[in-house]
Amino acid sequence: MLYIKCPHCGMRPQIEFSYGGDASVKRPELNKEISDKEWDDFVYNRKSLRGKHLELWQHISGCRQWIKVERDTATHEIFKTFKADEEVV
Amino acid sequence: MSQDFRLESVGLVNRDKKLSFKFNGKKYFGYEGDTLASALLANGVHLVGRSFKYHRPRGFFGAGVDEPYAIVQLYRNNETEPNIKATEQELFEGLEAKSVNCWPSVNFDIGAINNFLKIFLPAGFYYKTFMWPKSFWYRIYEPFIRKAAGLGVASTKHDKERYEHKYEYCDLLIAGSGPSGLSSAYAAAKNGAKVILAEDKPRFGGSLLTDDVNIGNQSGKDWAEGIVAELKTMPNVVVKNRSQIFGYYDHNMLVMSEKVSDHLPKTKKYHPNKRLWYIRAKEVLISSGSIERPIVFGNNDTPGVMLSSAAKEYLKVYGVLVGKNPLIFTNNDSGYETAIEFQKHGVQPTVLDSRKNPESEIIDEAKSLGINIKNSYVVVAAQGYKKVKSADVASISDDKKQLGKIENIKCDCICVSGFWTPSIHLASQSGNKTKFKEEIDAFVPGISKQQETTLGAANGVFSLEETLQTSFAKGGELSKKITDNDNKVSIPNVVEKKSSKHDKFWCVPLPAGKNYKRFLDFQNDVAVSDIEIALREGYRSIEHVKRYTTLGMATDQGKTSNLNGLQLVSEIENKVVPAVGHTTFRPPYTPISIGAIVGREVGKHSKPTRKSPMHAWHEKNNAVFVDAGVWLRPRYYKRGNENLFEGSKREAKNVRTNVGVCDVTTLGKIDIKGPDAAELLNRVYTNAWLKLPVGKARYGVMLREDGIVMDDGTTTRISENHYHMTTTTAQAANVLSHLEYYLQLVWPELNVNVVSATEQWAGAAIAGPKSRVVLQKLFPNLDVSNEGLPFMGYMEGDLFGVKARIFRISFSGELAYEVNVESDYGNFMWEKIMEVGEEYEIQPYGTEALSTLRIEMGHVAGSELDGRTIPYDNSLEGLVSKKKDFIGKRSLQRSAFTAKDRQKIVGVVPLDKKTSIPEGSHLVKDDKAPLPNPKLGHISASCWSVEYDNPFSLAILKDGKNMIGEKLFAMSPLKNKVIPVEIVSSHYVDPKGERVRS
Amino acid sequence: MQKYSIFNLVKNAFSNHQNWDLAWKDPEPKEEYDVVIIGGGGHGLATAYYLAKEHNITKVAIIEKGWIGGGNVGRNTTIIRSNYMHDENGLFSEFGMDLWRKMSQDLNYNVMFSPRGIINLAHSDAQMNVYARRGNSMRLNGIDAVLLNREQVKEIIPMADFSENVRFPIFGGLMQPSAGTARHDAVAWGYARQADDMGVDIIQNCEVIGFDVSAGKINGIRTSRGNIKAKKVGLCVAGSTNILAEKLNMTLPIETHLLQACVSEPVKPVLDSVVTFGAGHFYISQSDKGEMVMGGDLDGYNSYAQRGNLPTLQHVLTEGIAMMPFLSKLKMLRTWGGIMDMSMDGSPIIDKTHIDGLYLNCGWCYGGFKATPASGWTFAHTIAQDRVHELNAGYSLNRFNTGHLIDEKGLGTKTWIS
Repeated sequence: MLYIKCPHCGMRPQIEFSYGGDASVKRPELNKEISDKEWDDFVYNRKSLRGKHLELWQHISGCRQWIKVERDTATHEIFKTFKADEEVV
Repeated sequence: MSQDFRLESVGLVNRDKKLSFKFNGKKYFGYEGDTLASALLANGVHLVGRSFKYHRPRGFFGAGVDEPYAIVQLYRNNETEPNIKATEQELFEGLEAKSVNCWPSVNFDIGAINNFLKIFLPAGFYYKTFMWPKSFWYRIYEPFIRKAAGLGVASTKHDKERYEHKYEYCDLLIAGSGPSGLSSAYAAAKNGAKVILAEDKPRFGGSLLTDDVNIGNQSGKDWAEGIVAELKTMPNVVVKNRSQIFGYYDHNMLVMSEKVSDHLPKTKKYHPNKRLWYIRAKEVLISSGSIERPIVFGNNDTPGVMLSSAAKEYLKVYGVLVGKNPLIFTNNDSGYETAIEFQKHGVQPTVLDSRKNPESEIIDEAKSLGINIKNSYVVVAAQGYKKVKSADVASISDDKKQLGKIENIKCDCICVSGFWTPSIHLASQSGNKTKFKEEIDAFVPGISKQQETTLGAANGVFSLEETLQTSFAKGGELSKKITDNDNKVSIPNVVEKKSSKHDKFWCVPLPAGKNYKRFLDFQNDVAVSDIEIALREGYRSIEHVKRYTTLGMATDQGKTSNLNGLQLVSEIENKVVPAVGHTTFRPPYTPISIGAIVGREVGKHSKPTRKSPMHAWHEKNNAVFVDAGVWLRPRYYKRGNENLFEGSKREAKNVRTNVGVCDVTTLGKIDIKGPDAAELLNRVYTNAWLKLPVGKARYGVMLREDGIVMDDGTTTRISENHYHMTTTTAQAANVLSHLEYYLQLVWPELNVNVVSATEQWAGAAIAGPKSRVVLQKLFPNLDVSNEGLPFMGYMEGDLFGVKARIFRISFSGELAYEVNVESDYGNFMWEKIMEVGEEYEIQPYGTEALSTLRIEMGHVAGSELDGRTIPYDNSLEGLVSKKKDFIGKRSLQRSAFTAKDRQKIVGVVPLDKKTSIPEGSHLVKDDKAPLPNPKLGHISASCWSVEYDNPFSLAILKDGKNMIGEKLFAMSPLKNKVIPVEIVSSHYVDPKGERVRS
Repeated sequence: MQKYSIFNLVKNAFSNHQNWDLAWKDPEPKEEYDVVIIGGGGHGLATAYYLAKEHNITKVAIIEKGWIGGGNVGRNTTIIRSNYMHDENGLFSEFGMDLWRKMSQDLNYNVMFSPRGIINLAHSDAQMNVYARRGNSMRLNGIDAVLLNREQVKEIIPMADFSENVRFPIFGGLMQPSAGTARHDAVAWGYARQADDMGVDIIQNCEVIGFDVSAGKINGIRTSRGNIKAKKVGLCVAGSTNILAEKLNMTLPIETHLLQACVSEPVKPVLDSVVTFGAGHFYISQSDKGEMVMGGDLDGYNSYAQRGNLPTLQHVLTEGIAMMPFLSKLKMLRTWGGIMDMSMDGSPIIDKTHIDGLYLNCGWCYGGFKATPASGWTFAHTIAQDRVHELNAGYSLNRFNTGHLIDEKGLGTKTWIS
């Protein structure tokens, strides 16, 4: 079971969280004209690579905050976690 | 009955407590502290079971978790459990066990015919035959094979035992209580670290219980007892026996299974059978020791052939002789230790050592005791069928290729030692890439992946002195890092005998003209010849070898066979062992009770049950409940002998003619507050929300970004910056997360807060032409007229002293209201509604009537919003704003979504106006068309229209609107039904929606 | 080629099994092939077999990073079925069922296809209706399906929980009697042996490190064992799809996730059918060896680790006991994980790509094993003819753009929710 540092609450077991997928996907701005390709890249297309992966989790049984987690998809090592509005460095 | 093989006053069993037990129906005695294995051996019983494939007689090979074949069916407290290792099962009064995989008995087993057919049954034989005739595999061959396989018998009774879970955090978790485990635990405990020390056996001490060593001027066993006793007094230490750490998972989470009751005749009241510990450790010390390796020779599976360390353990721990005329076959000094123990206890062994001229202190001692030793000698084959009677032995050349003249020597057991294999399972599970250590011809842990350290024999260190030094140091060092204490403990001096190097030799060649089976994997009957065939046929990757031969796939998971298999492949393929295969282990280390893994969430508690505050009332009033997710909802309220159809029809009819009340508490409710709340709703829902006045509700549909409808419901503007959203029961949690996602990540600039209020409010829908009068009675001071509280209006009121929210919304299509009060008053509200409604013939209605009412009105629900439909499909295009953007809007441009003949919701009526159309039927043009018959749509929901008293269904139909008036067939081949139907509007009742506004 | 038969088995027994041929050779890669299939799993091996058998294309290489059959074909729960609601899936899978039924004979390798039937349990009338929709669709597509009531289910699996102490009582179920199981390794090895015999080069321990693409056309691949020229290249790498796609500068509607499965210790026959739980995600069958083979949910976050965590298995086994309480007394023997290429609508992709001569076969989610023959057959057709067959026309890559989605579960793009 993963052990995830919620930036708001501290170290918490994975069962308190729910997963939210690739955090690098950015929703296009509202009312902006965009191509099919841009829209499909947002809705469907994913890199999903082996190695470092920035992803979303929600501390659903805790503070209910969405957070960003930088994790290795091959080893599950977690490098860093970020608040939703925090700059990822 | 005397125990012929039990020594007097040797060992650790409790001689004061005699226990009786039965094996294969025969009664025996043992002592408290015995295992089933030691007790049977004490009684001279060696034949335990039959092997998996050839049904060869099998006995005891080990003395613990590595046991490959002493597997029995256990009977305890009127329950039975298959596949119990006799070497692990502690004896208790009244224990009963039987042999498995044999018929009619272990002594005379019909399946043993396979042993004579074995030349036709090499590895993978089943891939090459049983193919003709085609139908025979499933009908004839496979059932036969299935019956022959499978070890024990599973009881199909419900398990009455209880299993618990426990979550723990600690500084140091130490796996194994041998010399390294005890020393590191002691050093860490002295530094004040929170330590958990786990031992899978009943007794602590590991190899110290059997090895002839001296620590701090006491025997190893006494030293261990002293350390354990002191650890047990320390508040920062948890010491657990019968506790197997079986899994090393991510982020230093380890899982341990504690056998709480297996050693007792019956689980004590309020005790679990087993307890599963999830342990998050800062540091893990793996001191799991090592397992002796067998040497492979002919018929090495004959009962009486066993590991030399096991023979020593039976003698020293249980006072049991595994034979009175033992032959020891070894490639290292460990065999001598066993020989010395035999000799010391009055039994004269013979030692065959594959080495030419080994010299060491241990060998000197053996010699001085007068033990008969033959160097450069090997066992070629065991002789005897159900028990070893003698051994064919021979000298062997230095290159280990040539055997000398075969001699036969009498013996009643053969104790084998092929040196030691470190137990690296936990380290490997943690992600540690293990490495091959030439000096010991085995894998040891390499670079740590997580916070784990392997010590002692598990790390390939077989010197006690070195083990104690490194373990004390490591325990101290790691605990100091955590607690900052540095309480030095002095390391006791050690007296142990020095040993000499082992021989790199694990497989005795076949003598000319003999075709003995030489087994690697005893349980799965994998022999040297099987590996040879696999390689010959090109299954050369070690994974192919394993899968083709099933090497290491049995319930002992190859603990005694994997390395010998690798060694053999490396020899045949002429590669070094690490080039052949890299051993990666996965949890569990040993088979683990599924009951223990699951814990308490069984039966009624396998998932939570949610009930509304009015649940007790529903129960009292004969509600028949239905599962709606984890909620229980009244489906209908049974009157007399009514069935579901009759009851729900009555309830629905009563709503259409009088008034009904329905518990709608389960609907998701989300409280939305903040100056940007309207903007949020405007982006989330497909329709416009910026101009909704205070005190008004609106129906909305929200999409996923892929354009598919996610949920629908009404949202009400309670005050300027305060909205109350309702969701469907099923989607409540998802919708909340969805809103939080957009607020926190996508549009953090919106100043809005959302919180679930589902549990805070109890809801009752009052529906029907007489609902207004009922509402007026509930709120005599409010103006609830059509003008005072118009359709989609909202007001707050006082319900006999209770604050209430009143929404004029309708799912049934009738004039209807929904009243919410705080959950604690839910039942009060409900009773008041029933009370004031009595004179208007109010009846409660359940989900079935609710469904009927919405279907004939053409309102969509879960069966239409099934995760595959877009708003247009559900005739909700009027709700899709053309002007503003919203979640998922861009997806609605997709060509399939805008296709002219896109599916759409329609109504369906059977032509005979009598035959109900089963839900899940499909609509086709031609009921006689050849298959595959093109499907135009499907029936999503069906009801008996109480308005028209005939069946009515909703369907999602291709080119829906243009099909109205067409005649099609509704087909349900599953129910053998073909029903001619007409397509009508989905708004079957009150198409103009006048009632809700009346 | 040496024929496998009882006669040959007996004959070889008397020569001590010394004279069996290699099941497949271990050749060095050649400089050039007509078709290179990347991925020596079930689908890749089947594709090569059908290229040779159906299209007479034998200058074919299978390039495998590890050992053949080591991916999901060797790490699944061996279930074979065609009980799909959508036409695209149903017709494709039923075509595959025909190939399964004669596979042992076609390949002269006993893959032990065993039509023991699959039952999807339902725990409410609503769920019965959902299954009815699926089952009726199957029947109209010519696929066998039966709707069982509670008593009928009880007759087939009396050990399921029919007691009072049950959270979600069994209402009935949808059964496909012709569905079943097969011996997974044998499928890979059987295809490999025949493909090899027809001239296909099976190249193991060879990792693809890049592609040679120019002017929108594929010319070959770069591997750890040198460059290989190829007129056509087919990608058949399941859980490694995203990794190879990156080397081609493609992002695909695919995410990589871990699915765990486990087996119990072997016991005597107790369960004949394959059964799935309806109030959760759990499926079970009993292998010929006697092990209960069980699986369920994904681990729930993107993963390339062939190792999983216990809470997922705990969750899966909880549903197992809820369905069949007797499992409690058994022991979990072995667990493993497979890396799944989860597509955004849960259905696969077998299609051409924007690169001339490059073909894509991926997105099998956890349904890849049963699709092995049909996938190989249609992919071979697509590669050989440079156009999709009507059976895989629906499995296009651009359906995500057009909206012709094939979503059996209606769960959309959250691939980690199963």
